[in-house]
Amino acid sequence: MLVPGTLALLPEYAGLADPVLDLRLACLEAVSWLGSSSDVVVLGDEQGTRVGHALLAAAGAPAGARPAEGSAAYLVVGNGSARRSEKAPGHLDERAFAFDDGLRAALASSDANWSSYDLGADLLASLDGIRELLGLLPPGCPAVIDYDDDPFGVQYWVMRWRCES
Amino acid sequence: MTLRLGRHHFPDDATLMMAIVNRTPDSFYDKGATWAEDKAFDRVAQVVDEGAEMVDIGGIKAAPGEFIDEDEEKRRVVDFVARVRSAYPSLVISVDTWRASVGRAVCQAGADVLNDAWGGADPELVDVAAAFGAAIICTHTGGATPRTRPYRVEYDDVVRSAISDTVAYAYRAVAAGVDRRSVVIDPAHDFGKNTFHSLELTRRLGEMVDTGWPVLVSLSNKDFVGESLDLPVGSRLTGTLAATAVSALAGARIFRVHEVVETRQTVDMVNTIAGRRPPARAIRGLQ
Repeated sequence: MLVPGTLALLPEYAGLADPVLDLRLACLEAVSWLGSSSDVVVLGDEQGTRVGHALLAAAGAPAGARPAEGSAAYLVVGNGSARRSEKAPGHLDERAFAFDDGLRAALASSDANWSSYDLGADLLASLDGIRELLGLLPPGCPAVIDYDDDPFGVQYWVMRWRCES
Repeated sequence: MTLRLGRHHFPDDATLMMAIVNRTPDSFYDKGATWAEDKAFDRVAQVVDEGAEMVDIGGIKAAPGEFIDEDEEKRRVVDFVARVRSAYPSLVISVDTWRASVGRAVCQAGADVLNDAWGGADPELVDVAAAFGAAIICTHTGGATPRTRPYRVEYDDVVRSAISDTVAYAYRAVAAGVDRRSVVIDPAHDFGKNTFHSLELTRRLGEMVDTGWPVLVSLSNKDFVGESLDLPVGSRLTGTLAATAVSALAGARIFRVHEVVETRQTVDMVNTIAGRRPPARAIRGLQ
C-alpha cells in the first residue's frame, strides 16, 4: 500500500487541530488493513520511512525488518508533485498536473515501465518508495484508491494493492 | 496546581482570562462605562463571547474617592452577581471585595471567587470563602489600607515581601478551611508599590510561581505600565501585553484584564513558544 510522506502525520508535529485529519484517517484505516496480514516492510526515503513507522505505531500494527518469504506486506511512502498551486511548497508548476495524472495511472495499473523520475525530482515528488513499489507489483495488479487529493498543493494518494504470489 | 474555583475545575496547564467588570461610576480605565447594570451585563456578554473564563465584578474603585459603605457595595454587586450566575452557569464569577459581609452576600448569590485585592484587610473573608466553598485570591499590598495610594513605600526586597505575605495568607486561608486547590496568590502590581516595585515583581515573577501556589497577575493598563512608557490610560495596551508576556513565560495562571482577546492571544503565543501548548494548527513545511 501507498501513503504520502506528509510530516504533519508525525505525532511530534501535532497541533490542537489536525490539518490532515481526512488523510490521517484514510492512512490509519489502510495501515490497519495491511498490518493484519503479516509483518510490514516500510519503503521510502528517510523522512518517509519515519512517517510509515509512525502510522504503523498509531494503528498498532507490527513492522518487520525484512520481507517474510512469500507473505510480505509493504507500506510504501511516497507522493506526487509538491508544485500544484501558488501556495504549494514548490510554488506552481503547470507540468505537475500531467505528471501526477501519469503517475496515478501508472500506480493504478502497476505499470513498471513508468519512468518520469527526473521530471518528478523537478516537481518535488517523493519517488524513492514508489520506484521500489513499481518494481515489486506484478503487472496489471489493480489499485484500490482510498484517498486522492492535493489539499496543500501536494498530491497525496492512499492506495492499496492485493497481489497473490 | 489544579485549580478549583467554586463550582469550576481547571487542569494544571490551563491559563484563565479574568475579565474586569466594573459596577462603579469612577474606575480609572472605563470611567463608569459599565456603571449602569445593563451596560455591565452587556460587558459580561462581550467578554464571554471573547472567551473569558472568568469575570471579576467590582463595586468600589481601588483609588481613593467617595466612601462606599457595605450596603451600597452590596447594592452594586449582589443582585448583579445573581443575574450573571443565572445567565452564565459555566462562567467563573469573582467579586473584587475586601469585606467579609459583602463576600458572604455575593457567595449566596452565586459567586465562585473572592478577590481580596486589599490583602486580608478583613480577616473574616477567609472564613466566608471556606463556608461557601469559594476560592480566594491572596494579594500583597504591603499592609496598605484599602483605597489608599502608596506614598514613599519601600521594601528591603519587594518580591520576598510579596511571597512571604501571600503565602502566609494562603496558609491562613487553608487553615480556615478553604480548599488548598482554591487558593491563588497575586503580587498586586501597583498596590502599595511604586513602579520600580511592580517592574521587579514582573521580572522575578518566577519566584512566586516557584512557591507552587497558582499565580494571578493584574497588569492591565496600570500606572507602572504608563510610567514605564510615559503613556496615559488608554494608550497602555502594548505595554500591558509586554508585561503579560513576561508573566506568562514565568508561569502565571490567571490574567485579570480589560482586553480579553489581545491578552489571550499573547498568553497562548507565549505558552506555545514555551512548549506548554501546541500550535493551533501547524502545516507550514509539513505538507
